[in-house]
This record gives sequence, structure tokens and C-alpha cells, in this order.
Amino acid sequence: MSQSLQGKLALVTGSGRGIGRAIALKLASEGADIIVNFFRHREAAEKTAKDIEAIGVKAEVIRANVGDPAKADEMFDAIAHNFGHLDIFINNAASGVWHSVTELDVKDWEWTMNINARAFLLCSQRAAKLMEGRGGKIVSISSLGSFLALPTYAMIGVSKAALEALTRYLAIELAPKNICVNTVAASTVETEAIKFYIEEQGGLNILQITPAGRMVTPEDVANVVAFLCSEEAFMIRGQKIIVDGGMSITTPRSAEKEQD
Amino acid sequence: MSIEEKIRDIIADIVHCDKSIITMDSSFQDIKADSLDIVQALVAVEDTFSIEIPDEEAQKFQNFADFVSYVENQVAQKEKA
Repeated sequence: MSQSLQGKLALVTGSGRGIGRAIALKLASEGADIIVNFFRHREAAEKTAKDIEAIGVKAEVIRANVGDPAKADEMFDAIAHNFGHLDIFINNAASGVWHSVTELDVKDWEWTMNINARAFLLCSQRAAKLMEGRGGKIVSISSLGSFLALPTYAMIGVSKAALEALTRYLAIELAPKNICVNTVAASTVETEAIKFYIEEQGGLNILQITPAGRMVTPEDVANVVAFLCSEEAFMIRGQKIIVDGGMSITTPRSAEKEQD
Repeated sequence: MSIEEKIRDIIADIVHCDKSIITMDSSFQDIKADSLDIVQALVAVEDTFSIEIPDEEAQKFQNFADFVSYVENQVAQKEKA
């Protein structure tokens, strides 16, 4: 096990399953103790914590709906009380609705924006306070839908665009505090959540439009997040790193040719 | 107010329906609740009764009666502890 994050404390929101779980395990494998946050799936979060402890570092599970400011505050109060500091904050927890733009309503907007964008603002404010005097790393998880128009993805795409803008502002404002802030945007990642989306779309053929020849895995995203949390990434500030196997810079035609 | 009445009020408020249409046999589909309504109802009920309803459990609810019964059990267990 590499120990580049030994002695660090990381909070990964939504880390019971999928990308969040992979990030939590990767940071743990680099030596960081992990706070596993979850909202709806306790069993999964406890499994993640158990797997983290098996690596040889500490894990603590905290339940909180980060879309609810009071609940997010309670989570950070607990972190402040139990640890007194934080070195890494990974804003991964996300939710949203898959509707066409014309079907979106206020309820969809508020739910999605509160969890995907507002929570990043409020949690980063609290995280930055816990990083004062020691510096830290903040990484948000975005998606290609922030700049590509994907079918029925408008609501989440808009929230991710807000998250990316916020990443840039935080990166500048927190730079004097020695806090690095960046975002990782992935294309369709093989997770339970995305299987549902693909089924809803009648079976999108992601492979056909991914030059790298396979779907992005949660571990692909976790590897980049871990790099951004390392000192080697110190001079990367407010950037979006795209993890998509080349999908966003190709066309269906060139992808077909590559496959031939 | 009973647990059943409180849950009925919460769901009616979120789904914007008359609470009289929520009978013990009603499913979320019957009262035209979408997936977001369901999550919001679960969260509101959790907050009201200070309990936890994992998605794995919520997915087993066939109707309002199942929902009420689960919450009643959770509240009873909490009071025992």
C-alpha cells in the first residue's frame, strides 16, 4: 500500500456505493482515514467502512442528507467534535430526476440543486474551516452532462454546471488557505444508478461512442481523484479533469471507424 | 394524532392530494406519487419520527398499510431501547 495520504482524514459524501465507494477505498489504500457519508443505504455504507478498515485505516460512518443544510451542519459538527480537523473533502453525493426540460418542475429543481450544488457550497464552507491552518484538498464530482445535452439529463446537467462554476470560485478564494479545489467529470460510469438511466433510455450504447473501448469504471474516477488529493497535483487549481475514454471529443462516425 | 394520521398528512402534503384518497390499500402509484415524492415522503417521515427507513425496506412497501406498519414497529423499537 502506498502511503501518500497517511495521517490524512477524508470525508467522502455518498460513499456507500458506486463512485463514492471506489473513491473512499482508493483514498484509504493511500493511507487516509475515511468518513463514509451516506443517506439512503446504511448497509452499503457499513460494508464500505468494513472494507476500509480491512485495508488498515480507520473508518467512521455518518448518515446525513447533504441536501438539507441542518443535516449537513450536524455532520460537520460531528466531524469537528470527533476529529477537530479535515484534510480532504470529496463532494460526491448526488441525486436528481430524469425528465425532459419541458417536464421539469420546481420540486425537481429544488431537490436536485439542493443536493448537487447547494450542498457543495455549504459543505465546502464547513470543510474549509476544518482545513484552516493545515491546508487541504476539495474535489467535486461532475459529469459530461454539465456541458453536453444528454437525453432527459437536463436537471442534473444544470446542477453539475453550477457545481463546476462553484469549483472554480472556491479554488480561487481558498487558494490563499492552501486548499486545492478541482472537479472530476466522468462520462457514463458503470454503477447501479447508471444502469437505471441506461434502461430508461432504451439501452444507450456507450461502448460505441467511447474510443477507449470500454466503459468508465468507478475506479477510473477514483484514481484521478486520488491524484488530485496528492501533493503532485498542488498546482492544479479550479480545473475540470474529464474521465471519459475520449467520448466527449469524438463523433459517432470516428468512434465507429475506430471499432472497425 | 396517531402515527397513521401523521404519515397520511405528510404524504398528502408532499403529493398535493386530498388525504381522504390515501387508504390502507393505496399504493404510491394509486395516489400518483412519483419517485421524488416517495423519497421526500420517506425523508419527512424519518425526520418526524426520528427513525431510519432504508431504501431496501421502503421498496418492500406494497401499500400505505405496509408503510404505517413499518413505522409503527420502528417507533415501538425505539421506545423500548
